[in-house]
Amino acid sequence: MSEKATETAAAVGLETVALTRSFGGVRAVDEATVTFRDGRINALIGPNGSGKTTFFNCVTGMIKPNSGSVLFRGKEITGRAPHRIARGGIGRSFQLCRIFPRMTVLENLLVAVRTDGLRQLLAPSRDARAIERARGLLVRVGLDHLENAEAGAISYGQQKLLELAGVLMSDPDTIMLDEPAGGVNPSLIGRIGALVRELNAEGKTFLIVEHNMEMVMSLSDHVVVFDRGRPIAEGPPSVVREDPRVLEAYLGV
Amino acid sequence: MPNASDTEERTVEGTAGRSAGGFTPPGWVRNATLVVGAALVLLFPELVPNAYVLSAGVIVACYACTATAWSFMGGFTGYVSLGHAAFFGLGAYGTGLLIRDLSLQPFLAWLLAGLIVLVVTVPVGIAALRVRGASFVIVSISFVLILLLVFQAWEDFTGGANGLNVPRPFADLYRPDHHRIFYYLFVALLAVMLLTWWVIDRSRFGAGLKAVREDEDKAEALGVPTRDYKLAAYLISATFTALAGGLYALWFGDLDPIFQFSILLGAYMVLMALLGGARNLFGPLVGAVVVGTALEYFKLEFGDTQLHLVTTAALLGIVVLFMPDGIIPAAGALLRRLGPRQASIREVTAEELLARNERRAAAGGAGAPEGASRDAPDGASGGAGEPDSESEGGR
Amino acid sequence: MDGTLLFQSLVLGVLLGGLYAILAAGLTLYFGVMRVVMIAHAAFVILAAYLAWYFHRETGLDPLFSMVFTVPLFFGIGVLIQRVLITRLRPATLTMMSVLLTFAVALLIEGLLGLAWSGTQRRVQLSYSGSNFEFFGARIAVVKLIAFGLAAVSLALLFLLLKKTRFGLALRATIQHREAAQLVGIRTDRVAGVGFGIGLATAAIGGTALSLDATIYPSLHWSWIGPLMAIIVVGGLGSIPGTAIAALVLGIGQSLLQVELGTTWAQTLFYIALFVTLMLRPQGFFGGRLAQRF
Repeated sequence: MSEKATETAAAVGLETVALTRSFGGVRAVDEATVTFRDGRINALIGPNGSGKTTFFNCVTGMIKPNSGSVLFRGKEITGRAPHRIARGGIGRSFQLCRIFPRMTVLENLLVAVRTDGLRQLLAPSRDARAIERARGLLVRVGLDHLENAEAGAISYGQQKLLELAGVLMSDPDTIMLDEPAGGVNPSLIGRIGALVRELNAEGKTFLIVEHNMEMVMSLSDHVVVFDRGRPIAEGPPSVVREDPRVLEAYLGV
Repeated sequence: MPNASDTEERTVEGTAGRSAGGFTPPGWVRNATLVVGAALVLLFPELVPNAYVLSAGVIVACYACTATAWSFMGGFTGYVSLGHAAFFGLGAYGTGLLIRDLSLQPFLAWLLAGLIVLVVTVPVGIAALRVRGASFVIVSISFVLILLLVFQAWEDFTGGANGLNVPRPFADLYRPDHHRIFYYLFVALLAVMLLTWWVIDRSRFGAGLKAVREDEDKAEALGVPTRDYKLAAYLISATFTALAGGLYALWFGDLDPIFQFSILLGAYMVLMALLGGARNLFGPLVGAVVVGTALEYFKLEFGDTQLHLVTTAALLGIVVLFMPDGIIPAAGALLRRLGPRQASIREVTAEELLARNERRAAAGGAGAPEGASRDAPDGASGGAGEPDSESEGGR
Repeated sequence: MDGTLLFQSLVLGVLLGGLYAILAAGLTLYFGVMRVVMIAHAAFVILAAYLAWYFHRETGLDPLFSMVFTVPLFFGIGVLIQRVLITRLRPATLTMMSVLLTFAVALLIEGLLGLAWSGTQRRVQLSYSGSNFEFFGARIAVVKLIAFGLAAVSLALLFLLLKKTRFGLALRATIQHREAAQLVGIRTDRVAGVGFGIGLATAAIGGTALSLDATIYPSLHWSWIGPLMAIIVVGGLGSIPGTAIAALVLGIGQSLLQVELGTTWAQTLFYIALFVTLMLRPQGFFGGRLAQRF
């Protein structure tokens, strides 16, 4: 794994420079300067309330940062509308899995089909190519048998897989997952982990916020540790695990 | 890997899932209902006993237009506008004023009024959609209130409380013929709206709008330009409402700010659309027929009292609390429960399905090999390509 | 406009602004605790005014005493509306459906008022109705001053409640971050219920104050809800101090414009302010970060 990391080390993917966002006096993200390289499985960890999700939301445009900037492959994307960032190749999932509960599983994926221009806008959403692609992804995450089920009626674990498939639908280069292992059983965690690894082998970059240390340590190439809104340590999992600052942040020593 | 018994279970779940997605009657029932419904609508002027009932029919057709127009925003995106009467009034007054001041041909004035409303709605829509949800509600009501103020106060231009007379486009026609023509004009407008609705409903644009209704942040994160979509839906909705208002002006011939920019009219649109089912193609139409007929009947029996206000309020409250999806889905659910054939499909309830899926996920997850057979080399990155190797992996 | 008239309008504007402030405070409170735009708020104000008028007609006592009954009654109704009606709605569609629900309540009140007391315009006649007093050359109606005093006192009480009590702390926490408040053990549902009660109690006070000075009729609430909604947007949704400032500013503005343009056109000020705020600063001009998210 470390081999692969050095191999692709040249390409800088997502980076933030002095990114700051405060909520009434409290700085949730505090001048965070972080770089994530392309082709890696990056993990973002940190104690509760260390600003990981806010950082995520700032990067994906859901929240406007107060100051600082977000760059994707050298291009400034700070404060852009979320759909522009999504179309620029950064897909994301949400902390408490968000799907469209009253649409079918297949329709959930068709929403993510890109539209440019009036003709595509009015083209049927159920066109053959899109459906074919959606079905391919459903097979991949193992939900093909639920294609016509209402998304709100499938299990939470299945919804997580569905969300992931939805993110993949628009074929992003970088995929940001907010707690992919949160609230799902261990076997499914294994399945999601395997999928991430597979997709990474195909060239997708990942940025994962996760509390499940086992998953983080086994899956990621590069770990960034957040505390009080800024990175305090980073490096390969084996190194980060031993870092005294990390232990301090987690254990509050 | 799933085994044979799993496969069997799948088909059952698949069917149950489909029926959970919404009530779909068999094809022939649907078509027959459509044909009979359309025939009734078209033959209505021939079937009525007198001109009074015919004029009531025109009003109901007008209601159907407004309720359907309202649903382009309220149904697709879930954004509830209480002030759609603003667009109705603008369309009506626009048509009347263009005829009075520019002596335009009536139907040209009508179309131009629709265009003007389209343009006016752009800034209103942008302001309304600035803050999610709350600002939309506030702007939608405020807009109709301010227009009521302005049209009442600006007497020199609008006629104020004295009203505005709109000359009839077919001056030499008798009253019943006049009603008949306008009945068909409203029905034609409605047909255009329903067609537009149908096109949007199955389009990517429509899928995006429905995604906004379900979860706006999520839609945005998937790359749907939600604000532009919402604005587009709002413009379509407003323009159609204005066209209905313009036709009304040409038909009725007398406008008064109190009635044209009336909060109550906006409330009727919402009630009709919701009662029938704002997410359904024919929902608002059905709602308009039910509520519109009731309103006309009430007016005939009891005159204009405060009672219709109380009734409207009570009905709206009941619909919002107990059947927010409208009577068509509610009736569908009832049919599904009563009908024997449907019942067999519905044996799997949502909860059971959920529980079973959880069990399955647990079992399936444990048995899932770590990547091995699912290793499709370029499935996800290669566009729509290579679905074959993937489906092999999944089976 | 000469100096005296200007001063007179200014004073009247402050008095009007005070009334707006207490009425809009309730509206912003509901939005704060539940993200609900309570369309029926103004209808309850008019209902309270009618009850004050009815109380005065039946008992001959000063309508102000009607508050002994209406304030607790409205508080109870407010709690009930939140606990029985609002909580029934799906959280995903809460904002939109609650608007419809409270809209229905507003129509219901309007209709019932019409049925009970007809659409005739009503006005409370008091011994001091016509009295004025001089204030640095401005003539101020006593009833307007009483209304303002009532509004100022209740606003001050509301402010103290929010700033000084444990409940106020819980309420502010709920407004700022509902989930976080839950995490530290605040029973946000109960807080929201009481928040609704307090909001509606302010409607009772405001309505009574209104009854002293205004001619009332059932559909009057529509001409109040528009300005009140504009005020809470300009003030920053969910921010009570912001609301109070916006109410004063717009009240004074309206009062000044009224001299030149007449009452109807002066009212458009609110809608213009609403439009400008949403275009330039949708989070409001006087605080309130909430607005960005909702």
